Amino acid sequence: MKLRTYLQGTALALVAALPAYAQDSTVTVVLSEELDILDPCESSRSNVGRVVLQNITETMTELDPDEGLMPRLATEWEDMGDGTWRFHLREGVKFHDGSALDAEDVAHTLVRIKSEDIVCEIGAKFFGGIDLTTEVVDDTTIDITADPAQPILPLLMSTVTITPAEAPLDGHMEEPMGTGPYVFDEYRRGQDITLSSNPDYWGETPEVTGATYVFRTDSAVRAAMVQTGEADIAPNIALQDATNPDTDFSYSNSETVYTRLDTTMAPLDDVRVRQALNHAVDREAFIGTILADGTELATGMTPPSTIGYNKDLQPYAYDPDKAKALIEEAKADGVPVDTEITVVGRINNFANVLETMEALTSMWREVGFNVDLQMVEVAEWLEHYSKPFPEDRGPEMVQAMHDNANGDPVFSMYFKYASEGLQSGVQDPKLDDMIAEATAATGDERAEDWSEVFSYIHEQAFDVMLFHMVGFSRVNERLDFTPSIKTNSELQLEQISFN
Amino acid sequence: MVERSPAPAATRTKEGPGALRTALSLLWADKLACAAVIFLVIVTLCAIFGPMFLEEITSKPNLRGRNAPPFDLSKGWMFILGGDQLGRPLLARIIVAAQNTMVVAAGAVVASMIIGSALGLIAGYSRGRAGQIIPRLADVIMSFPSLLLAVIVLYMLEPAVGNLVIVLAITRIPIYLRTTRAEVLEIRERMFVQAARVMGASTKRIVFRHILPVVLPTLTTIATLDFAFVMLAESSLSFLGIGIQPPEITWGLMVSQGRPYLTSAWWLCFWPGLAIILTTLSLNLLSNWLRVVLDPQQRWRLEMGGKKNA
Amino acid sequence: MKQFLGKRAVASAVSLLGLVVLVFFLSRLTGDPTDLYLPVDASVESREQFRELHGLNDPLVMQFVNYLGDLVRFDFGESIRRNEPAIDAVLRGFSWTLTLAVITMGLVTVCAITFGALAAFNVGGRFDRFATFVSLIGASAPDFWIAIVAIVLFSVNLGWLPTSGTGTVWHWVLPVAVLFIRPFGLILQVVRGSMISALQSAYVKTARAKGVGNRPIIFVHALRNAMLPVITVIGDQAAALLNGAVVVETIFGFPGVGKLMIDSILQRDFTVILAAIMVTAFAIFLMNILIDIAYAILDPRIRY
Repeated sequence: MKLRTYLQGTALALVAALPAYAQDSTVTVVLSEELDILDPCESSRSNVGRVVLQNITETMTELDPDEGLMPRLATEWEDMGDGTWRFHLREGVKFHDGSALDAEDVAHTLVRIKSEDIVCEIGAKFFGGIDLTTEVVDDTTIDITADPAQPILPLLMSTVTITPAEAPLDGHMEEPMGTGPYVFDEYRRGQDITLSSNPDYWGETPEVTGATYVFRTDSAVRAAMVQTGEADIAPNIALQDATNPDTDFSYSNSETVYTRLDTTMAPLDDVRVRQALNHAVDREAFIGTILADGTELATGMTPPSTIGYNKDLQPYAYDPDKAKALIEEAKADGVPVDTEITVVGRINNFANVLETMEALTSMWREVGFNVDLQMVEVAEWLEHYSKPFPEDRGPEMVQAMHDNANGDPVFSMYFKYASEGLQSGVQDPKLDDMIAEATAATGDERAEDWSEVFSYIHEQAFDVMLFHMVGFSRVNERLDFTPSIKTNSELQLEQISFN
Repeated sequence: MVERSPAPAATRTKEGPGALRTALSLLWADKLACAAVIFLVIVTLCAIFGPMFLEEITSKPNLRGRNAPPFDLSKGWMFILGGDQLGRPLLARIIVAAQNTMVVAAGAVVASMIIGSALGLIAGYSRGRAGQIIPRLADVIMSFPSLLLAVIVLYMLEPAVGNLVIVLAITRIPIYLRTTRAEVLEIRERMFVQAARVMGASTKRIVFRHILPVVLPTLTTIATLDFAFVMLAESSLSFLGIGIQPPEITWGLMVSQGRPYLTSAWWLCFWPGLAIILTTLSLNLLSNWLRVVLDPQQRWRLEMGGKKNA
Repeated sequence: MKQFLGKRAVASAVSLLGLVVLVFFLSRLTGDPTDLYLPVDASVESREQFRELHGLNDPLVMQFVNYLGDLVRFDFGESIRRNEPAIDAVLRGFSWTLTLAVITMGLVTVCAITFGALAAFNVGGRFDRFATFVSLIGASAPDFWIAIVAIVLFSVNLGWLPTSGTGTVWHWVLPVAVLFIRPFGLILQVVRGSMISALQSAYVKTARAKGVGNRPIIFVHALRNAMLPVITVIGDQAAALLNGAVVVETIFGFPGVGKLMIDSILQRDFTVILAAIMVTAFAIFLMNILIDIAYAILDPRIRY
């Protein structure tokens, strides 16, 4: 086995491969899964988003991780009260078919994402239970009303990809079309997708003149392709394949790993038991071993860049003795601490999930919990994770990974913690009120309210919060591109330039 | 055709204490087969006793000592093959995993071989309806993707060892069924079978005394190779998330868990992979040896002391 | 022969129908695709809409009758996941897989028969031991292991071949080579085994006694007799490839039917699963008929 030697020898191969591509101003991106669908209204899925979002179709607003909410197709917006917001559209923007972008297109898009005959992911994910009505004021001005009122409607609009008024309401678009800097050329199914630059783009002309997307499931192959020069960017490779500091970047990827506790079931209904579960976990031991260096300990469901994230909270310290003491205390009060608790893990959820779950399970056993690990594939996992929960279940802890790159906890909190939330294991009227209050608040008050929510959840140990994850990308040295927290859900070609 | 009946050899081995000695000396004559038997005995012992003694060490992760390289004795001899992705000694894991691996592989291979060859004998020998219907059954099983079967069985039942054996056994039935049938189709037309029939031998006697012995060598060849196939199939099921799941371990699961580390810590999937290869190799050498021993026309090679290879 | 073919066609059609019934009902026992398709945060109404849209709320028997009704008109249904008819996706994948299978099995057949027969000619000899050893290691090494090592070696380090994908002839070399190894080992062993038996059989001996000392003639005689189990095993291996060389397709990014089938099974895209099974089953049934005809040609005593 001289693999190591082979790998070292590859630096040469890389250098040799470079000149052949250096003149080329198109890039090849190697994605981890084939796209089953290319409709822009599905672009909240990370695999679709990486191709479509802001490349082919654009959104009204755009969230910048550092700068906050920025204009894109809308130049400005104002709150008209009663849940209505007025958006002013950029002038002179054209769709790829040559027609001009106007307010009608926006209105149509909002109808389309909620269409019962498509069931788009954007509609289902961000606008579930929200009624949207629009009023076209003039060609470039539109009023959007949400019921119930959404104080963060402009932020929500950063998820909606604007498609022309001709887009069908009863089915998916055959070919994605929008206003973006790149035009969709061809999808040779199973092989590749090609885009080329849009000569009529309203913004600056990007350096990259075209892109090809290919699909490889295996991380080692994706890494090898960038190494040999067959591809330029592999947005997502595994920790163990990120071996070359010159080409491999780590970035916080907005995913948070945690274990959801079913707090309605004994013994998980006892706060001491939940705290003991938290104290039993040696979180530091995972980092730099089975999880990448740079992984952060989490104290809340959303990435630290989200508004209201409570930076004062400290992760539960690794303290097996304290955990044992808490268990004893609970036991003395008659809490059935010996009940078998099932730990449900999701197979292939992230790299090394199996190792992570095995290690967690043995840590819990170490302090005396009677836990049993079950790793299941996604369909079965969902039955445990989402309501309605199985009738005949025992106490369960479900491992999950949650992604919120949208900057506001509202995309997470109701679902994960409210009594009626689909994935919530909590039944706590006080928390329900807190979440409702924060959801309706604006400005600084909003940040403060969310901060309190984070702190209450942490105190009550409603779950075993674990890690904010990092991802790895390999980027060919001929490109000037640094992956960021958004690389998980989009890959804007116009941000790439050549060295 | 001179009947290549195994009867003489079989009776000879039944002759009492001398028989064992004869068998051992015949085995000694073929050094490779000898090594194979020793290896298989070790694997069997590991499978029976391993979990009893080593369960404890293999379930304690030590994250800070993960992927320890092999041939380093500073952590104790259990780490001679290195540590796995959770810092557990690979050698101990391989020994403990032998049990599940052997149960799954042997269970699936034996079950599919018995069922498959029985159906194949019927299908090949019968000139009636069974001869038409049974091969179509094989067609259906062959076209039913094993993965779908695995998802169905393991989704509705638990991903336990027993259910895995069922899934793998069903998917392997067609190969024995079809091979047996093909051979029987030809054998039943041979002179000695026709002669036996004319002399009034019962169907049962013809099938078991005359036809089965001729088919058996081919079936054994396939079965020994199938051992590897089943272990690897189990590995890919685990990889796809529908096979055996930790804390249970098998060699196949270890191979699939070590896969992401192929380029950074090769030993994770190399050793369990080697265990699979060596087991298959040993079984095959053993079956080749048996074939020679049971064949009066070839047995002389071994009786000559294996010095000459004609 | 005509009668045989007629009977077989009818029997195969019945088997195919049985397969469809089996797969249709069994696959639906593995859960509802709705939750897999929609994000976990999707509202209850969205889920309900999705079920309604794809007819998942109808009673199972109704769904089956509708499906059969469409099937009679050669309509295999729309894929839930993909924005296209299920049969389009399947045929596209199948054409790749078929090419891969034909090339691989062609090479395997030629190589395995040649080397297996040579090994059997001198049992226990150096060549025999070598061939046995190599073929066994090949047959029991994990294919993904071979695939990744091959990529690292031939593409990354030596730069001789592309890592993966499709496009040129060179793209086919690694997938075919990796797929070649296991059936080669298995078939070589079977050829060797049956040849040993055949070479000892009475008529070869008679031929020798009669003075047909010419080795090739004996060889051909014996080979012909040894072919029945060999063809069966070749068929079995080819069927396994037609069902999709999942690991190889996955690693090399080859858009075959195996990868499609796995994705569809894991995503519960029932129409695609069914269409894929029907297409591959059709190919496998056809192959099995050809194999049975081959038996009869190789050995005129065999009648059905």
